[in-house]
Amino acid sequence: MRPGDALFRVIVTAFAALIPLILLALLAFLVHDSWPALRFNGIEFFTRNAWNLGNQYGNPVTVRGEQVMPGASFAILFLIVGTLASSLIALLLAVPLGVGAAVFLAEAVPPRIRTYASLLVELLASVPSVVFGLWGYVVLIPFLSRHVYPHMARWLGFIPFFGPPSGSGYGLLTAGIVLALMCVPLIAANLREAIENTPQELREAGLAVGATRFEVVRKIVLPRLRLPLIGVSTLALGRALGETMAVLMISGNALNILPQNIYSPISTMASFMVSQLDSALQDPTNMAIYGIAEIGLALLLLSLLVNALARLLVPRSLSA
Amino acid sequence: MTQRSQHARRRAPRLVLLAAAGLLAVGSATAATITLNETGSSLLYPLFNLWVPAYTRAHPEVQINTASTGSGTGIAQSIEGLVQFGASDAYLSDAQMKKNPEMLNIPVAISSQMINYNLPGLNNVHLKLNGTVVAGMYDGSVRYWDDAALKKLNPGVALPHDLIVTVHRTDGSGDTFMFSQFLSFTDKTWEQKVGYGTSVNWPAVPGAIGANGNPGMVSAVKSTPYSVAYIGVSFQGQTDKDGLGEAMLQNRAGNFVMINETTVPAAAAAMVPKTPRDERISMIYAPGAESYPIINYEYVMVKSRQPNAETASEIKKFLRWAVSTEGGNSLQFLKQVNFLPLPASARALTLQQINQIH
Repeated sequence: MRPGDALFRVIVTAFAALIPLILLALLAFLVHDSWPALRFNGIEFFTRNAWNLGNQYGNPVTVRGEQVMPGASFAILFLIVGTLASSLIALLLAVPLGVGAAVFLAEAVPPRIRTYASLLVELLASVPSVVFGLWGYVVLIPFLSRHVYPHMARWLGFIPFFGPPSGSGYGLLTAGIVLALMCVPLIAANLREAIENTPQELREAGLAVGATRFEVVRKIVLPRLRLPLIGVSTLALGRALGETMAVLMISGNALNILPQNIYSPISTMASFMVSQLDSALQDPTNMAIYGIAEIGLALLLLSLLVNALARLLVPRSLSA
Repeated sequence: MTQRSQHARRRAPRLVLLAAAGLLAVGSATAATITLNETGSSLLYPLFNLWVPAYTRAHPEVQINTASTGSGTGIAQSIEGLVQFGASDAYLSDAQMKKNPEMLNIPVAISSQMINYNLPGLNNVHLKLNGTVVAGMYDGSVRYWDDAALKKLNPGVALPHDLIVTVHRTDGSGDTFMFSQFLSFTDKTWEQKVGYGTSVNWPAVPGAIGANGNPGMVSAVKSTPYSVAYIGVSFQGQTDKDGLGEAMLQNRAGNFVMINETTVPAAAAAMVPKTPRDERISMIYAPGAESYPIINYEYVMVKSRQPNAETASEIKKFLRWAVSTEGGNSLQFLKQVNFLPLPASARALTLQQINQIH
């Protein structure tokens, strides 16, 4: 091997190694920063609804070997539920919409307009999330709380979690809808490319045996989308799980309470970290800051878990 | 644009104007030899924004940057020395003082807090509320607007049978400190179960909303019928414009009072003589027949020991101006945000504290 090649190899390897190293460094940093909280909170961190900074104007006490303010406890079940529920609703809404939009763009739109229509969808994917949040806050919440949720609660009340009270508009379903709108362009843009990559021979073969255009889409194009759909859904779910600003503006920021129905205020892990940072900075024992680092750690692990689960789904769907 | 400047613009070639503007910018940039930074309370932020342009016009050698981030950030960043002024509606706790004994809690004005609501058709009625009933709303024991306790305080008012939506601050906030202290001082159960602080463990009430900053509180109440919230008085112009209701609150003497030019000074007059030398004191639920129950000192947190003498002297100069009746404490500034100037005896204590900066 020439020296130039060897050098190139070293550089490329270093760059490649950087990515997993960053992930490891993030993990190490979060574990280090949340260590006192991990010891103080134990497993109850995930099983109870009790985020309480304690009496900030009292004097620090020692509990389980750690300095905390009197009455302090840190447990985030309600955040985990809020995060997963809002992301799940987002995905349930976004996947059919995204698939529909992709099929429409790839199959139904005349080729002349297709480029522009696709460009619009991709532009939507790059709108900053805070803009979605603002729109949700200004437009969607008043509209939904006055004209949609009361009727939903009245007519769909027989479905569990859909009954009254229909709430103030800030909450789980609103967060799910806005998150879904952020995910749809991501899904649509990726799937459209996948559809366009369907080999022309397959389509022609389908048409040759007498299938209609719709049957070609349903029986030849769509089944081939399963794999890219899982991939892009994972990406979308990752975006929904970690979304911060938009959710902060529209979720109602519930504290220590599980949603009683889909209209209830919630809070998610990412947005809670932002909203609580300021108060946490005032804790003289720093335990609140360690607690926030622990939420960060939990969110990172949750995202990794979701990604790993999606990976596990892939081979099975290939063999199906 | 005036007639004259239009003429001037037509006559003067654009390039010259641009060059002149550039020179001006450079000139003012080099004139400021010292930069001071302020961050913190969103309640104090509007006042700082009135003060800073007026002060720097007279003192071009100083540049002051302001930011509205929240009292917690103000406290934390002033302790770390990242900013020179940390604005906060709440004073530091004993534990924080023990950890950071060099911090000064310097009051610069007196503020108060409203309890607002959005009751369609009743926003022009000043509902009578007391601490126990408000604590009941926020801990979930008073769920509907026509609850017996509310009816008893407001005979003759047609209160609707609608769920109360409580709104509280999600961010760490001096307003939460004042509000939760009012509830703690008036309601034993609240004191034992929740207590007070810049962020408290809000009881789990279904439907309760968390909002960000005073602006977030105002817009949450405005957009949510049957909601109730606590909002700093510097946002009174906004709540009036949005047509929100403002409650009359029961004070320690049992009278129902609203924020005005009598009730806030009455409460201040009762509490100022009790102010200790370090000026860390709650003025909530002051005695006196006319006293408004939720008032407080607005603090600027400053480190007594500064990195150099020049910075220390500029900080002192600005703070002395801020609390003087000819400077920052004059009504031309305070009236715009509905704050009160410091009473004379409190000003004397504040000046003593300012003198400790070195």
